[in-house]
Parts: sequence; structure tokens; C-alpha cells
Amino acid sequence: MKLVADSGLWTTGPITAETPLAAVLEVSGAVLSWTIDDPPGDAHAQISFTDSSRADWLWRVLGESGHVALASAMDRAADQPHGIELAGVLTAGAEGFFADDTLDSDVAELLAPHGTALITHLAGDDPRILDLVRAGAGLAEEVGIEDVGWPELFAALDDSSTGLVMPSGRRDDYALAAGTDRSPRGVAPIARGVASINWSAVPPGIFDAGENTVDWSVETAGAAAVAVVRAAVIGPNPATGVEVRLRSGAVSGAGALGADGRATLPLVDTQGRPMTESAAWDQDWQATSVVVGAEVPETPETRERVRRWAQARLDRPTDDSFLAEVLASESAY
Amino acid sequence: MSADSELAVVAVGHPRRSVIEAAWRAIGPGVEVLSSDDGGPLSRTVKRIIDPLVLRLRSNPQYSYPVVAPETAAAMHDLIVGSGPELRFAAAWFETLKLERRRQRIRTGNAQELYFPVCFELAVTKGAPAPQDTETAAAVLGDIHQGRDRTAIEVLLQYVDSPDIVAKLEDQLDRSWRDVRASETAPATVPASFLAELATVLGPAHGHRAAAARQRVWSAVIADATPYNLGALARLEGTEGAGLPWSIVDLGLSSVEPQRQPKVSGGPDSDRPLDRSVVDRVRATLRRALDRDALPDIPLLCEEEVDRACAPWGLLSEDKQATLVAGIEVAVELAPLDRSVSHRYALAAQIQARLRKEAYVLHARRYLAEGGPIHPRQRQVVDDLAAYAQPYLSRLWARLHGRDVWQDPCEDVDEMRSLLEGVARSVSLDHRQRIKSMLELQVAG
Repeated sequence: MKLVADSGLWTTGPITAETPLAAVLEVSGAVLSWTIDDPPGDAHAQISFTDSSRADWLWRVLGESGHVALASAMDRAADQPHGIELAGVLTAGAEGFFADDTLDSDVAELLAPHGTALITHLAGDDPRILDLVRAGAGLAEEVGIEDVGWPELFAALDDSSTGLVMPSGRRDDYALAAGTDRSPRGVAPIARGVASINWSAVPPGIFDAGENTVDWSVETAGAAAVAVVRAAVIGPNPATGVEVRLRSGAVSGAGALGADGRATLPLVDTQGRPMTESAAWDQDWQATSVVVGAEVPETPETRERVRRWAQARLDRPTDDSFLAEVLASESAY
Repeated sequence: MSADSELAVVAVGHPRRSVIEAAWRAIGPGVEVLSSDDGGPLSRTVKRIIDPLVLRLRSNPQYSYPVVAPETAAAMHDLIVGSGPELRFAAAWFETLKLERRRQRIRTGNAQELYFPVCFELAVTKGAPAPQDTETAAAVLGDIHQGRDRTAIEVLLQYVDSPDIVAKLEDQLDRSWRDVRASETAPATVPASFLAELATVLGPAHGHRAAAARQRVWSAVIADATPYNLGALARLEGTEGAGLPWSIVDLGLSSVEPQRQPKVSGGPDSDRPLDRSVVDRVRATLRRALDRDALPDIPLLCEEEVDRACAPWGLLSEDKQATLVAGIEVAVELAPLDRSVSHRYALAAQIQARLRKEAYVLHARRYLAEGGPIHPRQRQVVDDLAAYAQPYLSRLWARLHGRDVWQDPCEDVDEMRSLLEGVARSVSLDHRQRIKSMLELQVAG
């Protein structure tokens, strides 16, 4: 095992891929990261020590002597620029290990936003789901959560004999959000096209994870031209406020998506003058780009790798599959 | 062990946590509610029971090192195994309290965090819980959840309700405030020698000799009049106060420059440390006193707090004043989202590296885009991160205030440094929870 100094922190193992291919876990005194689709068996997590004296779980991964060797090496070698080679330190399967004071170990914070969602799952009859909801509620009672939804969930569980009728949150009734060929007013647009969402540019839990899920078109609104953007949303969170920009040569438009993933952007030239309908007809819209969220470098190949990995997990559920994956895999068609 | 013989030589001793785990398993059955699924103690069991009550780290610092020598490990093992009966009783008490909690439908506060220490106390004083003894459990929960602090705060408010008392405290306050001034011979700014000493204290130390030297320099910094004088400068108008190298408003320590004389109660509606009234400061002490056995005498506490509020930086002891000054120097170099800050102090560089890594976790989780908000709603929190010194120093000041009241020293340089690090950790956690919740808001709404 080799320890290298990376931006001032001692770090082990190979450098992992960029987000969104990197999975990260913040444990006491360290951040573990790995590339999600590393072949099983030779997956090595990279350990970046944020505070080695707090990494009191290290012996579980490296064995006692490995822990002691690593700790004393880091202690003594703060000024060695290139790194330390530690031979014979065994690595075994890492178990998540938390003490306190990390983003990933605060159970109350992690559970708190999900009270309402858990209630909707009470309506189902899958015992695995009900067990999970009960386990969540039991934990919430013990760690003291009183956020939105939880009092209702406790009450519902206390009183589960009354036969609750609640809306199910499961999307058995999914319809594909197909793009319409025509604009809402039935007028053929001046130009149209599709774009993709960069995952690392937008918050999780809003958009469809497919490619080419953003439809855009240039239409007229009175005497001016506007761009209408429709991003496919899947929830549970609304797209409200997520920034969207369209650029085509000297023309641009910017705005924010509504809850349904739609936005209408006034188009302007470099001087900020509104684009007229006739100018819009004359414009070459071939090289138009639509960016949703922040500006980030991310390739379609990266997203495809993540999709392949997720699909592979669904195809072959294992002991470490999440219940959500098992359920998705059972209902795949 | 290692190809490098030097590393092999030092690889003796045991990781602290593995010693605790082995001892815990040796206790055998009866402590399951205090254990995790794999049979080791819960992290909270270690934090709330084993460290403070069984190993008593405060008086046995040798048990607190990340790696302990074999003989220390043996002593720890014996202590924990020797407390086996009490730990089993404590586990039984926790079951009892949890049942009572469920019966009373109490859902506030973390049960483990709140009840674990009490359970061990009950185990020591009462042994095993008597069957059907719900009275004790109910009384204990009442004590915890109705709050001793509230009672103490009521006593405080009653006390300062008397105009005579307030007038007396105001007199004392006027006198104390006038008594604090920078020494006549003090230079008008920070002496270079003092900065050099700080650089050593906040710098690296390799080996025992360097560590001992660093400790000596820290003792010299505490004895130096500079932190006191700087605190006194902070209350002078115009050019007289111009020697202060920072703005106490920018640092978030005060809402105005120069620092105003604090009030006994009331005063500006500000949570800046140096703006707080004496009553607010005592109230904070009482709130923190939950973990302490004895509540201090309120009149005495108020009198002492008047002097503390008037002292430079609002802190009485020199080691706390020096720690705050060191903390200010570190704080102005911290910026979690900025990769371009340069550092004069190795400790600040180290903390900044951690903050950057923690920001990366947010980025990888799509809670932040690279270097900025991933949703416009996070703009405010992200801007707050740019003014990191303010929340950092607010929290550092609060911890130092607590230590000042309880006379917990900051004379050990390593302890002082880990205090500066710990404050960064909790401020960062706070910020990141806020960044995350700005995204999660929409789920609830």
C-alpha cells in the first residue's frame, strides 16, 4: 500500500474517477471513494484521511498492526513530499464505520426528510416494504425526529388496525413522458432539437436519467421569438428554479425551469435586443446548445457507464442490493 | 510488517478502539442494547459511557491516544472488563428508560445520547433496576426532558428581575469596563516577535524535541501581553484602535467597531459574541451546564460574568484570550470553496485541505456543483461559506467561553490545536447540513 500526499491529505489507493462515476462515503476521520463500476473483487476504495487520529475504525480494514503502522507513518512523515510505501499491510473488506460528526453518520438528518414518503408506502402490502417503514419509524423514535410527516407516520403505525387508505407512492402506473410533436398551440415551430442533462450539473431526484430528454423549440410569441424548453422530470422533487440557458451563435436565452421542467426563454442578441420572428426564421439553428443547471464538463459516455452499472445491479440482485433495487428488478419489463 | 525497518520498529501498540472492542466482547452477554450488530460497543456507548465514565479520559489522558502502548492497553482492558457488572446494569436501565419513553410517547432528543450517562449513573448508585420500578424511570425522564436548565434559567430571570440587583451589576460593569486598557508601553500593533511565535504554535512539529519547543512557545504566547492588549485595542475609537490587524465586524465578533460596553441585560438584538449582555452570557452557561453535576450559584455567576464580559475578548483567562487570537489568525485563511487561498500557517492549510475534501463530498453527491451552488436556492448558504471566519469564530468563542467559566485550561498546545480543528469540523458539518437541506426543502414543501 502506498500513501501519497494529495492536496495536503494522506491518501491511499488508486485515484478514483470523477463524479458521477465516483461513489463517496464520509466516515470518521476519512473520506472513502471508489469507482462504481470497478469489477468486483479488485475494487479498492481510496482512503483520504481528513483526520487520521479520528479514523479509529482503520484496524478493521488493515488489521491492528496495519493500523498502527499507518498511523505512525502519517504521524512522522508529514514532511515527506512523495509518499510512503507500506509493504505487507493487508486490506480486507471494508465495512462502513462511523463514529460521529460526519455528513454520512447523522441518522436523524438522513432520515428526517423522508417521513411523508414512508407514509405513502404504508398503503402497500409488500411485507418487505412494511418492515422497512417500521424499522425507519423505530429508529426515528429513538433518535428523536419530529419533522414533517413523522408524527403522522407514528400515529399511523400506532393505529395500523384501522385500515389506512393512502395514496401509493409507487409508480406502477408509469407512462413514458413522450415528447409531443407539436407545440401546445399546434403551430409548427421555427426550429427544434433535443439536448441532454449533465447529471453533475443538477440536484438529484428531479430529472429523468435518460439521454436526449430535453426538448427545445423556437417559437413565436407576438412579434418576438422565444425558446420553449421541456426537460423530462421524474421526481420526487420539482424542477423549480433550476437554471436553463440556450445559445445559438449570437443568440441566447436564459431563465429557470418551472416545477414541471418547462421554461419559456426570451431570445436576445448580444446587445440584449429581443429577436424578431423574421430574424428567427433567418437564423441557422444547427449549432444550438441547451444547458440545464451548472456548466460542467461531462460526457454522454460517462452517463452510459453509470446506466450500464445500474442495469447490471438490477439484472443480478445480490446480498448488498437495496430493497428499492430488488423491487425495481422484480417489476422490470 | 514493513519493508521500511524504521516503520516496523514503531509499529507497536494497539489502536485504541480495538482495545475497547476486545474488552467489550470479554464482558459477555447482557450489554446487547449498548452494542452494535457485530457485538462491539456502539460508537455512542464509547463516547457517552466508556470514555467519560469508565476510562475517565479527563483524568486519564493516556487512555485517549489513537494508538496506546501494550501496558496501557492492558490497563484499559481491565478497567472495562472490571466495570462489566455496572455496564450490564446500565444496559438494563436503558431498556427500562426506553420502555418508559415509549409509554410516555416522548420523541424528542436522541435517546442514546441523553440516557446513556444517566443509565451508568443509575447502575453505579442503584445497581440493577427493580422490576416494576417505573417511578424511577419516570422521574429520570422528567428530569431530562423537563430540563434542569429551564429551572436554573428561571432562577436567573427571577434574580435579575430586581432593580437593585441590576443597578449593582451595572455599577460593577462600569468599573470593570474602565479598568481594562492596553498597557501604556504596548506597541500600537502586533509585534513581529509575537507573529513569529504564533507561526511556531500553528506550524508543524516533528519529533519530541520540536513538540516540546512548540509547547514552550505556546506557554510564552499565553504569558505575552499581546492578546490582552489587542482585545483592549478593539474598544478604542479611531486611530487609537487602528493597530488592530483585523476588523472585529468582519470577523463576526461584534456588530460595531469599536466594541461597545456590554449591557447587563437587553441591549442590541445581535448574536455576535462581544455584543451579548451579561444575562445572555449566563444563560448560555446554564444551558451548557446540563452535563455538569453541580449548578453554580447564580449571584456569583452573574458577578463573575460581569468581569468576564468586560475582559478583553470577553474572556477572563489569558490562555483563552491567546487561543482566540490564534483562532482568528487561522480563521481568516479558511475558505472551503476556494482552491486558491494561500496559507501562512501549516495548521490552517491542514484544516483547509479537510474543508476542501468535505466540499468534494458534497460535489460528488450532487449537493453542490464544482465550486458553486447546484440550485439557485443555495446561493445564500454558499455565500456564507465565503465568510467562513464568522461562524468559525462565533463557535470558537462559545467554546472558549464555556472553558473560561468552568476553568478548563487551554494551556496544552495540542489541546488548543485540536480545539481549533474541532471547531472547523462542526462548523463545516453545520454548513453542509444547511446546503443539503436547501435541496431537500422542496420535498417537504
